Amino acid sequence: MGFLRKTSQNLNPKCFHLWRTSSFLRASIVNSKLSPYRFALTQSFCSPSRQNLKEAGIDLTQYPPERIRNFSIIAHVDHGKSTLADRLLELTGTIKRGHGQPQYLDKLQVERERGITVKAQTATMFHKCNLVGDNTSEQPPFLINLIDTPGHVDFSYEVSRSLAACQGALLVVDAAQGVQAQTVANFYLAFESNLTIIPVINKIDQPTADPDRVKAQLKSMFDLEPTHALLTSAKTGQGLEQVLPAIIERIPPPPGKSTSPLRMLLLDSYYDEYKGVICHVAVVDGVLRKGDKISSAATGQAYEVLDVGIMHPELTSTGILLTGQVGYVVSGMRSTKEARIGDTLHQSKTAVEPLPGFKPVKHMVFSGLFPADGSDFDALNHAIERLTCNDASVSVTKETSTALGLGFRCGFLGLLHMDVFHQRLEQEYGAHVISTVPTVPYIFEYSDGSKAHVQNPAALPSNPKKRVIASWEPTVLATIIIPSEYVGAVITLCSERRGQQLEYSFIDSQRAFMKYRLPLREVVVDFYNELKSITSGYASFDYEDSEYQEADLVKLDILLNGQPVDAMATIVHNLKAQRVGRELVDKLKKFIDRQMFEITIQAAIGSKIIARETISAMRKNVLAKCYGGDVTRKRKLLEKQKEGKKRMKRVGSVDIPQEAFNEILKVS
Amino acid sequence: MRLHHVIPKSTFLPIFFTLSSRTPNMPKVESLCTMTNFCAHITPTVRENASTKTPITTNPPASAYIHLPFCRKRCHYCDFPIVALGSSSSQTDDDPRIQHYVELLCREINATKSEFQTNQPLETVFFGGGTPSLVPPRLVSLILDVLRSKFGLAKDAEISIEMDPGTFDAKKMEDLMKLDVNRVSLGVQAFQEELLKACGRAHGVDEVYEAIEIIKSCGPKNWSMDLISSLPHQTASMWEESLRLTIEAQPTHVSVYDLQVEEDTKFGILYKPGEFPLPSDTDSAGFYRMASRALAEGGYSHYEISSYCKSSFECKHNSTYWKNNPFYGFGLGAASYLGGLRFSRPRKLKEYTNYVQNLEKGLLDCRGNNDVDVKDMAMDVVMLSLRTSSGLDLQSFGKVYDGRLVHELCRAYQPYIKSGHVVCLDEQRRALTVDECNGLLLRKEDNFTRLRHIRLSDPDGFLLSNELISLAFRVLSP
Repeated sequence: MGFLRKTSQNLNPKCFHLWRTSSFLRASIVNSKLSPYRFALTQSFCSPSRQNLKEAGIDLTQYPPERIRNFSIIAHVDHGKSTLADRLLELTGTIKRGHGQPQYLDKLQVERERGITVKAQTATMFHKCNLVGDNTSEQPPFLINLIDTPGHVDFSYEVSRSLAACQGALLVVDAAQGVQAQTVANFYLAFESNLTIIPVINKIDQPTADPDRVKAQLKSMFDLEPTHALLTSAKTGQGLEQVLPAIIERIPPPPGKSTSPLRMLLLDSYYDEYKGVICHVAVVDGVLRKGDKISSAATGQAYEVLDVGIMHPELTSTGILLTGQVGYVVSGMRSTKEARIGDTLHQSKTAVEPLPGFKPVKHMVFSGLFPADGSDFDALNHAIERLTCNDASVSVTKETSTALGLGFRCGFLGLLHMDVFHQRLEQEYGAHVISTVPTVPYIFEYSDGSKAHVQNPAALPSNPKKRVIASWEPTVLATIIIPSEYVGAVITLCSERRGQQLEYSFIDSQRAFMKYRLPLREVVVDFYNELKSITSGYASFDYEDSEYQEADLVKLDILLNGQPVDAMATIVHNLKAQRVGRELVDKLKKFIDRQMFEITIQAAIGSKIIARETISAMRKNVLAKCYGGDVTRKRKLLEKQKEGKKRMKRVGSVDIPQEAFNEILKVS
Repeated sequence: MRLHHVIPKSTFLPIFFTLSSRTPNMPKVESLCTMTNFCAHITPTVRENASTKTPITTNPPASAYIHLPFCRKRCHYCDFPIVALGSSSSQTDDDPRIQHYVELLCREINATKSEFQTNQPLETVFFGGGTPSLVPPRLVSLILDVLRSKFGLAKDAEISIEMDPGTFDAKKMEDLMKLDVNRVSLGVQAFQEELLKACGRAHGVDEVYEAIEIIKSCGPKNWSMDLISSLPHQTASMWEESLRLTIEAQPTHVSVYDLQVEEDTKFGILYKPGEFPLPSDTDSAGFYRMASRALAEGGYSHYEISSYCKSSFECKHNSTYWKNNPFYGFGLGAASYLGGLRFSRPRKLKEYTNYVQNLEKGLLDCRGNNDVDVKDMAMDVVMLSLRTSSGLDLQSFGKVYDGRLVHELCRAYQPYIKSGHVVCLDEQRRALTVDECNGLLLRKEDNFTRLRHIRLSDPDGFLLSNELISLAFRVLSP
């Protein structure tokens, strides 16, 4: 079910993942880690043991590090990651088959709707395996933590956090689709984190499945041994019995020292209505007990551990977490701002060496967020505050627009991250927002040597007093994998987007692999949609941040009846200004209704008008008859009209419908 | 809307307000209407509980609207509550359906509670439809008798009836005249055979001329002609012709309705406003201007968005609506406005019958108890008065509602005063110049003696009245 559900949801797959290495075939990789770990397993006897645990309560002291495995599943979008996770949770009795909803770990509505994972989630499973040569005595079960990760490049921040708590990863590849851009990126993320990688070729029940081809790709691209790949169908259950034994056999236990003082990594935090701030932690060394006094290495703040436990998969109190275990802590933090992701927590009385943290977040896409109804600012403020409690990767500053009033300028990791943030605001907090055209962070240099970092085009003066002598824009390194017949179209698209080809090769007889340097600006709006449409959906795409490059950039203003609309200003490449200006003006003409006066719409660079349209004045809007004194009906019509006006944004004397703001987002 | 302690020293239009403090979260009058409309079994207790509004005292109603829903067939633009008798029925004298309906209607009138202390006889009665001229005069007489005995009928009361060409002869006209019917509203709509056919009228152009003849020979002196502009396939020359022929017929009153394409009508299915074969917005606005100019030249004054009349022949009944005065409404789908409550009767005969039965059992009362949401009232007043050439009396409005609100309203209108869509008038109803208006508004004169009225201009302001009124709504109810 989970599988079917996901395929149908992936009409809009926003795939991609961070492509980490500059050299593609740098991979004399994993073999050292693939050697079977010290246990030999019988492949057949695996039984869920939840029943016993339930009766006995969960005693985590039974699980020394050598009986613990921490792993994550990484995959290109729709290759079956969440379904596989569902199956593993069922196999271990953690959730009951057919009970919980499909995509168990994707808890957010947005995740279910888009078939993506946004927020990392953890689930602890218990699994019993009888080891070869040890049939005589009953073996205690293993404690296995599945740390689910987002796949998209925008959420690599979440991924690297999750991977920091893992020692291994299942690299899931669709048996028919083979290696895709995100597979590549995910592989390198895991590889760089020194994880043991278990290749899983999934969906082998499909008629078009070609596991041998995929094995060959894995070998040629990542040097993964074909014999190490597991063949599964999470849908039919075929081959799933090999997965847990492989995890136990191949992935090393967590390396921490039980006898050392407590050090734990703060992986994530969220706010719960009832319990307050809940931190997800990985205990690297030592032991954590309920009642302990712990301190943050970053802030020095001390807290008392009020509750501690595991996600099984719901919060399950255990009173203790030991070395190598992953779980949750409730410690009376008032706000998730106190819970710094990547922070090291330790016993208050002992000083420890902090664990290596995470790379700070880099915001690549900025946009203004305004309440659709101006009076809802407080509601939006509240919603954003709450949501950023769960998504610390968004930067938020207040912004004022003459057209849209009070709002926020938000920095995102990427466009999908931005979309998801909007969707969560609407779905989880009922906030209705107008978002301004996303922009990337530009740098402008003036004749006096000063530099301006521009995250909001409106903040860049249209007619600056100082001359701009240079401007820079951020670029990305893009990986594109396509069936070879689309190479021509893709090259055309990339050069239209001012791309520079860096690499072009074939991964097998049918698939081409290309690397481009592209201005981020050209990628953020609709590049991926365009790429999908010219390749009939067969392209896979991923990108990573790269350096700034010099570019001839100009500020494009939109004027209504001569008055600039700050929220519609954009920064574009000079060569594209004419076309973008024309498109914006045409779009606006379509979406602004006739009003009582004529409206002039102009696009301008400085004082130079580059495109112009007019909307003639409304001719009539009159209700002729008040029939039989039926005032109520007429009144309703007028009130509806009033409400319509209220939802519009006013610049000077021009009413702009909200759709106009949304529509111009689509102009590249 | 914020209310201030306002105790009106003078009458605001016809309504006297006694305002005390207002309870928050009051239910709206409208929702009450709907409620009563849907559940005819609603008990008085419920209604009383639901009403916690500012009490007002209103004039007793002096107008009654009577709905006579019968038509030969439904016109293609019509979404009124009507009962189509079938095209063949030109002989309707003893149609039992009409007989039964009129009996039901009389029962409704009789069952209506009237506790108005003052013995206010009716000043206006309006028989609308439907096609009231299909109803035999003896039944019209019956209704008038019931009205007379129930409420009283002033000696010089305006009694109007809507008549369609082809549904009456001289005899019927004379019979109606004997009943003191003294105003006829003739539904001509167009003077072109093809247009009449296209909008599904049950009569042709010959019947139109015939009807005009009958009215002129034995009908009342005060009669109105109804026209519809912006019909499908209508051209400027056709419209010009209709206007010319109308003026030649010399009615004392002309109503010009711009076609509204309503959902669930034949036109609604076939056409989209502004698209062929309907005239474009520009053409349609042109028709409105043509009517305004031609009728003005013909000696008619444009006293309301869709109404024109010779001097002193305003329709008194309709003026009741525009002045926001109370009125009775009887019959299928009829709207009444009593005690501050707007109420629409059921539009289907079966539900209407139930409604009358419940009314007789005393289970229902379509009067409000004068507890009215002041904001609602202010919006109605603005909406209705701005439809007329008299416009809104800012001084009275400011006294009853809030002077600051009047200022806000004027400020919102300032660009439209400048553009000529809105006109300011002084106490002598002389138009003020834009500069004078701006000056007066700058001075924040509170009592609005010099800047006394605002009205929408003819034809520019009237043409965009929806825009301008909804703008006012934004001020009154942000």
